[in-house]
Amino acid sequence: MAGVILRRLAGAVPVLLIVSLITFGMMRLIPGDPSSVIGGLSATPAQLAQIRADLGLDEPFFLQMLKWYTALAHGDLGRSILLGQDVVGATLQRLPVTLALSAYALVITVVFGLCSGVFAALRQNTVIDQLAMMFAMLGISVPNFFLGLLMIILFAVRLGWLPTGGYIAFTDDPVGWLRTSTMPAISLALLQVGLLARITRSTMLEVLRQDYIRTARAKGLPRRVVVMKHALANALIPITTVVGIIVSLLISGSVVTETLFSIPGMGQLLTQAVLNRDYPMVQGGLLLTTAFLVMINIAVDACYALLDPRVRYESP
Amino acid sequence: MNLPDAPSRPDAEADIQDVPIHRQHPAWMTLRRLFRHQLFLTGIGLFGIILAAAILAPIIAPVDPTKLAMRYKFRPPDGTFIFGTDNFGRSLWSRVIWGAQLSVVIGFSVVLLNAIFGTLIGALAGYFRSLDNGLMRVNDALMAFPAILLAIGVTAVLGPSTFNVILALAVVYIPRTARIVRSSVIVLREMEYVQAAVAAGAGHWRILRRHILPNAMAPLIVQLSFLFAYAVLSEATLSFLGLGAVPPTPTWGNIMAEGRQYMSEASWIITIPGIALMITVMGLNLLGDGLRDVLDPRLRIQQ
Amino acid sequence: MEKAILARSGLAATVACVAMAFGTVPALAAPFKCPRVGGDFVFGQEANVNSLDQPASNTISTRNVAMNIFETLITRDENNNPIPDLADSYTESPDRLTYTFKLRNGVKFHNGKPMTSADVVASFDRYARLGLERGMFKNVDKWEAPDASTFIIRMKEAQPTFIELLSSFSVPVVIVPAEQKDDAPMQLKTIGTGPWQLVDFVPGSHVKLKRYDGYTPNTHFEERTGFGGYKQACFDTVTFRIVTEPGARVAGLKTGELQGVEDLPTKALDDLKKDKNIAIVPLLNWWIQVAAPNTSVAPTDNVLFRKAVQAALDMDEIMDAATDGNYRLNVGFQYPNQPSYTDAGKEFYNIKDPAKAKQLLAQSGYKGEPVVLLTNKDYASMYNAALVMAEQLKAVGIKAELKVVDWPTSVNMQLKPDTGWNFFFTGYGTQPALGALATMQFFTPPNANYKPKDGKDDPDLMAAWNDMNSKPDAKDRQAAFARMQALIYERVYALPFGSLTKVQGVRANVQGFKPFRIPRMSNVWFSN
Repeated sequence: MAGVILRRLAGAVPVLLIVSLITFGMMRLIPGDPSSVIGGLSATPAQLAQIRADLGLDEPFFLQMLKWYTALAHGDLGRSILLGQDVVGATLQRLPVTLALSAYALVITVVFGLCSGVFAALRQNTVIDQLAMMFAMLGISVPNFFLGLLMIILFAVRLGWLPTGGYIAFTDDPVGWLRTSTMPAISLALLQVGLLARITRSTMLEVLRQDYIRTARAKGLPRRVVVMKHALANALIPITTVVGIIVSLLISGSVVTETLFSIPGMGQLLTQAVLNRDYPMVQGGLLLTTAFLVMINIAVDACYALLDPRVRYESP
Repeated sequence: MNLPDAPSRPDAEADIQDVPIHRQHPAWMTLRRLFRHQLFLTGIGLFGIILAAAILAPIIAPVDPTKLAMRYKFRPPDGTFIFGTDNFGRSLWSRVIWGAQLSVVIGFSVVLLNAIFGTLIGALAGYFRSLDNGLMRVNDALMAFPAILLAIGVTAVLGPSTFNVILALAVVYIPRTARIVRSSVIVLREMEYVQAAVAAGAGHWRILRRHILPNAMAPLIVQLSFLFAYAVLSEATLSFLGLGAVPPTPTWGNIMAEGRQYMSEASWIITIPGIALMITVMGLNLLGDGLRDVLDPRLRIQQ
Repeated sequence: MEKAILARSGLAATVACVAMAFGTVPALAAPFKCPRVGGDFVFGQEANVNSLDQPASNTISTRNVAMNIFETLITRDENNNPIPDLADSYTESPDRLTYTFKLRNGVKFHNGKPMTSADVVASFDRYARLGLERGMFKNVDKWEAPDASTFIIRMKEAQPTFIELLSSFSVPVVIVPAEQKDDAPMQLKTIGTGPWQLVDFVPGSHVKLKRYDGYTPNTHFEERTGFGGYKQACFDTVTFRIVTEPGARVAGLKTGELQGVEDLPTKALDDLKKDKNIAIVPLLNWWIQVAAPNTSVAPTDNVLFRKAVQAALDMDEIMDAATDGNYRLNVGFQYPNQPSYTDAGKEFYNIKDPAKAKQLLAQSGYKGEPVVLLTNKDYASMYNAALVMAEQLKAVGIKAELKVVDWPTSVNMQLKPDTGWNFFFTGYGTQPALGALATMQFFTPPNANYKPKDGKDDPDLMAAWNDMNSKPDAKDRQAAFARMQALIYERVYALPFGSLTKVQGVRANVQGFKPFRIPRMSNVWFSN
């Protein structure tokens, strides 16, 4: 098991290297550079040239690249041009926000997605099933920024129940955190609720048809026990994979949600960094984010192996 | 019966079970089954509305969607302006209809590019072991990026335009398609009839074209129908973030982005394209569900 | 013997005198005292703050916050005249080669350390190393600190505009503790001398400031004026919250979640005006909306073609769309309330005569080449202006095309004449507020916003510019400016559309909030 994980981690290194190469090249290919952002609305060309020289942006491409990789080899991810923070510091400041939001969204996803999926499967072809699946279909079809806008119009602008945006950390004020995070978490979770409900339903249907469930039922075990202990436990295996995918999707989806709700998380940080041409921030931040996502995938696979002994034995 | 005419779909036997009396051409059977599938029909219906609007745009929305008419600005939907007007007095009816056309064109182009390059890359990686490692590393790297950030990066590099959005979305989704094709090809490559064809001395290209790819089509078609939905959705998201087709091009995302600052006073500017977008995505998802139910043998046999 | 500079120009009245005038004439009135102390003032700011390193940043969002924390030796008053702030007084030698600043007594940094001339020297040293407008020091020989409360700048040669540049608030030379001298760009430790000190800065979210209890107000004044004067912090804390969504700022102001906001969308104003709990405070003349032609490429290299474009434009329509109605038509590059305002060239402004435009177009030999309007979506007003201008050009038969990119890309493209654009959309914000000199630099090398053909500048324009800089008499400098503005209109080196109003709003219980180029948090209080 540990060997497999180690091998997977080693396999991630070339992937991350390619990621960093793509990012570096892409950032330098984007027209415009950070000088126009630092210079503000009406910087003069002389000022812009001076800023570029200060930042070392007039150096040749390969020299800049060499410098970046040399620093990276020494474990230095560099400093954001605009934030006056180092990349790791900025990431550590923003990542908890995105993680808290994603965790909230994940809770919503698992509670609603799993429950509606299980209920729909148990009541296959009834009104409950159809309603649940209609809701799930709606979930995967509503663009999350549209839902976010609708919620802002309704709950913030018209009713004034929740703030329109901004973020309060949980550690500062749990109630404030709930008030600022609920709309973003719902808009982030909706798609995943739909996905999870659909997958849970089909997985459950499949499991419920298996012989051992029939046997368990025939033995006279109560339906609840059969469903909870046997069916759900087995359905959890493929569902875990889906949850892993969902975590990646949540972090990806946070780009739009954080922008819409002015939440200072990783998504907003990276989007702003791309738009502001904050080269080191994008290069370092994306590398850390992808490394994190790769890590999650490996962790999910490890869980998968723990839940399903067959995988463990099969793995070389 | 010689080898190349081996069952073209692994689920051919299931067909026989379903229709025992007179055996028909499998493709015909699939179509018939599809058109008895309620969700599929609903999907076709919803998407059909959008498709019709897209095709008929010049007829049903003759007003230029970019034509400014400041004196009509912020008209709510009524008899004169079916969908109302925006902050420049432009007809939202025209903008939303022409937006449908763009969404369909972009979605279709992304699907087409995926069908071509996703299949090509997936087939090469799955069939030729020597290529697998290299191709899949790049593939993994591209998939490791958060999708939307990669799209933002690519459009930022290429500059915002309709064509570049198509390219950006293709770059984002081709690795995913390639991966699906690759896994089908890996399984099919080991099938006995393929091995037999290899033994009979058939060339690689012939084997790929005649024996492997036709059988890898079912999951691909299902994937592509969902991909259409993702592409439409992602395009709207990119435009909404200001990185899609260049304004004043009427894409749904652009309309919503421009209407955002008037959301409390003129909410129709964002709700109408939002609903159009939702209908499209839902139609395509239902369509994809139908296709999967019918084409994916494993799920179908269960039902 | 040095003499105090006396009314050197209309713009720069003598500073010692101004200080005395404020200090002595209304001496009967007591200095400002907060009618009520306390509360947290939450201000909804539209743009993200990247860094609070004022010398290294020229963005409005940084200035908004930083100028409440930091102070400068000299700054501008409410009417844009230079006044001393951290300086008690300053003098200019008759040969204009020596400026002597006496520092105010009792000024302390937020870390409790008293400010001395050593800190001033260190701050100037740091600015000279990385400050964005360090070009203003090009004629400076050196600076020195003969004693703890004196700071002297020695010039290599006289520069009549030096005080104007040094007091500029676009990228001001803020005074920071000497220990911060070696702070890297964007990493200045946020320790100033102002009435507000930093509590907490989370980029993308908020900046929180609190009252600095050790603040020593400038007793030469009785009231806040411009960025200087007698400043008092009345709130306990001020929170700048980043709220990029205009609709969210409106909602926040309505619910009282935000007590003040900048940049309210016009569409929401009617509704907000009805709300008794809200006061709308328009900030006039926020910037001059401009399109700059590319005079190096066809067809905009042809003055007749440019004149055709000029004749075609209806500025009301453009500005109305650009600002949703919050604008004023404005001739030229200064505002009517400024001393250097001139309407020279007004006959070329807002002509809106399509027939004349078509006639000029025919004369210019225009053959239907595409004309590219380079604009961006980051500033909605620029995008909207371009959209309407394209429409007006099409109406007279010009094949206008929009090129919409993001702000950094458009800035980069306009630096090069050969990147396929004919008109670049921008706004002159800080510069017009600073005066004619600051604005006219956009038409002179190396900063030309317009591109001189073949790299050759217009000699008439350059002559006027030189006079603006070097004529000893203020009247002559002003006349040169008028001449230059008229030339810009006549030869169409820029198309200024009008001035944009930035509407701010506060809750009705917020008193003393007067719009200025940055929101000033001092001498503002809650009435209940």
